[in-house]
Amino acid sequence: MAECDEVSRKITIKLVYYGPALSGKTTNLMRLHDLLAPDLKGQIMALETHDDRTLFFDLLPLGFRTPSDWLIKFKLYTVPGQVVHDATRKAVLSRADGVVFVADSQRSQGLNNSESFQNLEDNARRVGLAFERLPLVVQFNKRDLPDIVSEEQMRARWGATPWPLTFACALSGPGVAQTFRSLADAVYPHLDERFGLGARHGVGPDAFVSAVMGEAANAA
Amino acid sequence: MQPKGFERALGVGELLSGIARETLAAELGRALGRPISVTTPSGETLLGEPAEPGETVRRVPLRYDLEVVGYLQASACDEGRLRALGGILELFFLASARYFLASELHQEVVQADFHELAHKHQLLAHSEARYKALAAELEARVQEQVGLIEHTQRQLYQAEKMASVGQLAAGVAHEINNPLGFIRSNLNTARSYVETLETFGRTLKTQGVPQASAWVEADLDFVLDDFRALLAESLAGAERVARIVADLKGFSAVDQAGEASVDLNEQLRSVGDIAATQFRGRAELVLDLGPLPAVRCQPGQLNQVFLNLMLNAIQAMEGRGQIRIATDVRDHQIRVRIADTGRGIPEDILPRIFEPFFTTREVGQGTGLGLTVSRDIVVAHGGRIEVESRVGAGTTFTVWLPIGPD
Repeated sequence: MAECDEVSRKITIKLVYYGPALSGKTTNLMRLHDLLAPDLKGQIMALETHDDRTLFFDLLPLGFRTPSDWLIKFKLYTVPGQVVHDATRKAVLSRADGVVFVADSQRSQGLNNSESFQNLEDNARRVGLAFERLPLVVQFNKRDLPDIVSEEQMRARWGATPWPLTFACALSGPGVAQTFRSLADAVYPHLDERFGLGARHGVGPDAFVSAVMGEAANAA
Repeated sequence: MQPKGFERALGVGELLSGIARETLAAELGRALGRPISVTTPSGETLLGEPAEPGETVRRVPLRYDLEVVGYLQASACDEGRLRALGGILELFFLASARYFLASELHQEVVQADFHELAHKHQLLAHSEARYKALAAELEARVQEQVGLIEHTQRQLYQAEKMASVGQLAAGVAHEINNPLGFIRSNLNTARSYVETLETFGRTLKTQGVPQASAWVEADLDFVLDDFRALLAESLAGAERVARIVADLKGFSAVDQAGEASVDLNEQLRSVGDIAATQFRGRAELVLDLGPLPAVRCQPGQLNQVFLNLMLNAIQAMEGRGQIRIATDVRDHQIRVRIADTGRGIPEDILPRIFEPFFTTREVGQGTGLGLTVSRDIVVAHGGRIEVESRVGAGTTFTVWLPIGPD
């Protein structure tokens, strides 16, 4: 749940990259760190084990200032994908404002994907998030690999769900920014409703997305 | 709502924890060539000495997590160097924060796991208590059912006993009625003979010495002969009744739980006598009884077993046959074989004949418990009962009983 600090004039938004082990959540964050150029961009903080598996989470802070001179801060987290770290996943997921579910496109990973998605749904309920209302984008990653499920099949399978679907290759970059943009689009109405982003802070939906992605700065 | 735990905002104080502050301040000062200090955004000095009032002070902001968390300042120093040192401090902050976040989250996860375990433990303890209560209740119910079954079983065994004894009763009544009939008839005749003798006596008194014709007239030769004969016949009849009653007395021990040391051959003879009426016209009873040691047993109960087996043998007869009862000692056990030449038991039925309520007879003709009860009694005596049968040739039941230690 985004937090609003009237004293220091900032709104902190929490976005979580969820998904099965080794599906590319950390890689998504690293690519975003390279691709995005908002006003404020922090270092990636990675808490990994010796074999590069995420132990607790990775964290990428992003931010921009509104015309009303408020700080809008984004904290992008990944969860550890390994099944044993469920308590950590729950702790990281709690109070999330939006989620990217990073699925592995390889044919062999279908079961892992669906188990992890079920785990996301279960944990969302456990930490008190209304899963039906939670802004969620489903990303099919690793599109560069040979033995993957085709886009048509994925769309046929997931098309009936309410969530935007994106296709990405986090290692080389395509689709990563698009995924983040879809999530920012989905999150905006909720934040606007709660904090009056448009009316009070002068940030419309397009400006919101452009600012966090750093496109306005590029254009200017 | 302020986030708690690993998500809470960290101040510069926390970000410098775990670092020896005096050493850090001294080293930074040496690098810059001027004493430095670090302050919070509100101006509180955390590191180094506060600047003297009136000094010209340069300061650079220290950021963590996109926000300014403090300032590094020194007087009359090179600004580029000050910035570089600020950058190094920010790297320190990141390293500290990394440790902080990891430990906070670890704490949270451990707490959550602990709470979950405690909750599960509570549920388990609760369900354990329930199962314990359930087990106790089940135990009580099983006991109750066992009691009920035992009671019913006793009733059924009693019924079975009554059925076989009842079957006997008709035969025994007939057996006793027969001698009673001719004894009564004989006594009636005897009474008329007494009248004849009275009449002859009166003639003697009134006429003095009678003539031989009076003796002849009264046919007293015949009367005396027949009187003697009918008394002998009546005595034999009474003997017979007495013997039947004696045999029955042995049987009346069925209900007595007393143990006694007996010769099984005598028991078998007695049971054979009791069942004699049933044999009549249907089977010939052949006794081939070898010498047996006395055994301590419940004679009444074993009598019931032998009676059951004999009655079964009789009922197996088609036309006239033979029932042969043989006893001997084999392998330090007493062996009683009751063999008939009846119709035999089909193979598919043979394994079931000891099952309770298994009967091939018409409803009301048998309880289906005769062999069950017999087996139970034999087993209770430490023995066993075996059966061999061939359809059309006959059946042999063999009862094995252990010989006591004495």
